[in-house]
Amino acid sequence: MSLFRKFLCWLALAGLAPAALALGGSVVTTEQVRAELVAQAPEGVQPGKPLWLGLLIRHQPHWHTYWKNPGDSGLPTALSWELPAGVSAGEIQWPVPQRLPVGPLVNYGYEGDLLLPVALTVGPEFKSETLVAKLRADWLVCKEVCIPESGEFTLKLPVAAATAPQAALFERSRVAQPRVLAEARAEAKLDEAGLQLSLEGLPADWQGKTLQAFPEEAGVFDHAGAQPQRWEGGRLLLTLPISAQRSESPGQLALVLRQDGSEREQGGLRLAYAVANWPALPGAAPAPALQPAEPAAPASGGSSTLVALLLAFAGGLLLNLMPCVFPVLSLKVLGFTQHAGERRVLLAGGLAYTAGVVLSFLALAGLLLALRSGGAQLGWGFQLQSPLFVSGLALLFGLIGLNLLGVFEIRAVLPGNLAGARAANPVLDHGLTGVLAVLVASPCTAPFMGAALGAALTLPAVEALAIFAALGLGMAAPYLAASLWPGLARALPRPGVWMKHFKILMAFPMFATVLWLLWVLGQQVGIDGAVALLGLLLALALAAWVYGAQDLKPRGRAVLGGIALAVLAATALWAWPALREAPPASAVQAESGSGWQPWSADKVAQAQAEGRTVLVDFTAAWCVTCQFNKRGALADAQLLADLQARKVLLLRADWTRRDAAISQELNRLGRSGVPVYAVYAPGASTPRLLPEILSVSLLREALAL
Amino acid sequence: MKRSTMVLALGLAAVSAGVQANAVVGQTAPAFSVTDSRGKTVSLADFKGKHVVLEWVNPGCPFVQKHYNSGNLPGTQQRATAQGVVWLAVSSTARSASDYRPPAELEAWLKSKQAAPSATLMDDEGKLGRAYGARTTPHLYLIDPTGKLIYAGAIDSKPTANPADIASAVNYVNQALGEALAGKPVSQATTTAYGCTIKYAS
Repeated sequence: MSLFRKFLCWLALAGLAPAALALGGSVVTTEQVRAELVAQAPEGVQPGKPLWLGLLIRHQPHWHTYWKNPGDSGLPTALSWELPAGVSAGEIQWPVPQRLPVGPLVNYGYEGDLLLPVALTVGPEFKSETLVAKLRADWLVCKEVCIPESGEFTLKLPVAAATAPQAALFERSRVAQPRVLAEARAEAKLDEAGLQLSLEGLPADWQGKTLQAFPEEAGVFDHAGAQPQRWEGGRLLLTLPISAQRSESPGQLALVLRQDGSEREQGGLRLAYAVANWPALPGAAPAPALQPAEPAAPASGGSSTLVALLLAFAGGLLLNLMPCVFPVLSLKVLGFTQHAGERRVLLAGGLAYTAGVVLSFLALAGLLLALRSGGAQLGWGFQLQSPLFVSGLALLFGLIGLNLLGVFEIRAVLPGNLAGARAANPVLDHGLTGVLAVLVASPCTAPFMGAALGAALTLPAVEALAIFAALGLGMAAPYLAASLWPGLARALPRPGVWMKHFKILMAFPMFATVLWLLWVLGQQVGIDGAVALLGLLLALALAAWVYGAQDLKPRGRAVLGGIALAVLAATALWAWPALREAPPASAVQAESGSGWQPWSADKVAQAQAEGRTVLVDFTAAWCVTCQFNKRGALADAQLLADLQARKVLLLRADWTRRDAAISQELNRLGRSGVPVYAVYAPGASTPRLLPEILSVSLLREALAL
Repeated sequence: MKRSTMVLALGLAAVSAGVQANAVVGQTAPAFSVTDSRGKTVSLADFKGKHVVLEWVNPGCPFVQKHYNSGNLPGTQQRATAQGVVWLAVSSTARSASDYRPPAELEAWLKSKQAAPSATLMDDEGKLGRAYGARTTPHLYLIDPTGKLIYAGAIDSKPTANPADIASAVNYVNQALGEALAGKPVSQATTTAYGCTIKYAS
């Protein structure tokens, strides 16, 4: 439609009624399609209220446009939005597609009338009486021949009034979305015939029926090949043939299923699944070359390993000052002054402690390397992705804090024979202290050193283990030094009443660590889980006091102890489900008003294809450096405004919980920990990685603002 | 009744469908003997000892037009043939298709775009296309001097119909040829081809 005709059309609408202007979407008509931008805002434009825009494509008979995976040829329809500040658009909610056979080839797409809906999020920053939404849409429409078409659309929505002229259309499109069923599961195995899928938990009324499967990945499957399938009880065994010229090896895949011969409005199902062990692609490129993140990356291999070992050693030394480790270790070292005379005992203890620390680090790194070689998508800090591990750590730190406060003594709580064994075998005791030190240090190693350790994990196994050993040696060094040279221990302040105060003071960094772990847990499982953990901490504190109080009579201890244990058990039972509950909606989505959107590899590729630069923030709640950057440089208002003006797409990949897709992308970038900041320029196949500590000027320079 | 017939037809299509792709990257490329636009028979065996590029083409396709009108594909062809590479343009469009071009017309069109293929193969029956699993125009293949298939996929990294994207895209064919001619392994040996569906003869 020519501009002039569009103008006339607007004029006519405006003349009829002002409200119609707001409702009338803009329309682009070609010989093959009539495309219209339509809206669904039944409660007006308000934060938290449903707001949908959609591109309504009415195809001429036998013409079709494509699904997100177009199949053997074709291109998916792409939408590029221009929205006011505070308003952001999500991804296209693709209805279930249909198979479009063309001779020996098969495409996935749509004929007839199609609505591609997109959900909009309105943030509190959006303040206006009308929402002006602009859209540029690109679609490829084909019958026998193909025609790339595009259109620019503008739609104005009144903020205060409801807009729902196409409610039935949106409803039909909602029904046509593939649903996700919690009980539906897919397991995949590769063999000669292709990808063998075992699907369970499919709808009961599908049993025995023939299904059509639509893989979402373009470069993997032989789309035109037959999909042999058979029902085995409630299970569907389905084979997807792999393309002889497969070009991708995705770890995370998804499949849309619909009943053969069903109408689009009957919808379908979407199932995600993982494939770990793709055979290597022929002539596959080695890991993509990365631009050095740190300016001072040493050139030669030998010296860089040495530098890495030295840095790891220094990092280990620093760990002793971290709030999670310092209280425990400082007291232990101060204890040396009491044994200053017994040199052999000291030395044996120091060596045992060192062995405990180094072996724990090696065991942890070895476990991680083994899991990764088995195909698990894990990185350093993976321990903290488990809500149960975080809870366990918080309880441990709570207990240590109570112990430092003097609420109970270890000796009083441990069963007699165990305490005796510890006393009789001081070497073992020191070794176990080393293990404990690594355990309590883990919430500090992950947040402060995650990226460096992640990088170490991508080295050959021997080098990776050497780096972890160096880290352990560094951590153990002060303790070992104090045991080797008693003179050092003598130089420490003489023991006295001050030590008692110092010990109590040290309880507070411990509780601070608990506070922080609670926040991490809150991010993972929500407020219920965090409060459940607080309940457990409370019950544990009661039990610790009952069993630790010196002046409690045996009878009182028995009664109170019974109550305390009962409370503890009841709390644990109550807390258990909350600590394992499904995570709440991603925190990233809630803050999408700030211009950040949840990351997906597709979004990066799509934005690059549109010529936009993409900045990805790989982050996690438990990563302190990430939080520092997120609240600092990445929150700079002027910078964000400039980024928006330049149409830089801001994506946040939240790794607080396990996420195989994010782990895979981190791997691809040669990292296995957060933070990672990556700038994807249009046309560049590998992104530029920024340093772990960001500044506004550094970001400006990197993004050429 | 009509509906069930359709479902049956669909089912049959699904079973009989599947371009019988014998061509696997890293293995020997399928041999062929096809008549070119001048009536000469061209065989893969003729080019032993040389690098051979197969390029599926259809002048009616907007994705082909993107790379020809911009000079991208003709330029890639000229650079390749100047280095002794054999470049074979292939048309697997069925004679019955509306955008089928007879040999002389196809050749004239290529000439008008300054294209410089070593020969233009008329695979009207679609045998060559099916053997290689060619799906789109353009779709490109590279065969090394020993007859091994070493690249299959797209012309470049930006699957759009917009010529403006060519400048910022990675030209996979240039990349693969550059590596192969330098004696290096091809780093990206398979990519996902994009473009118009090839209208095969049924």
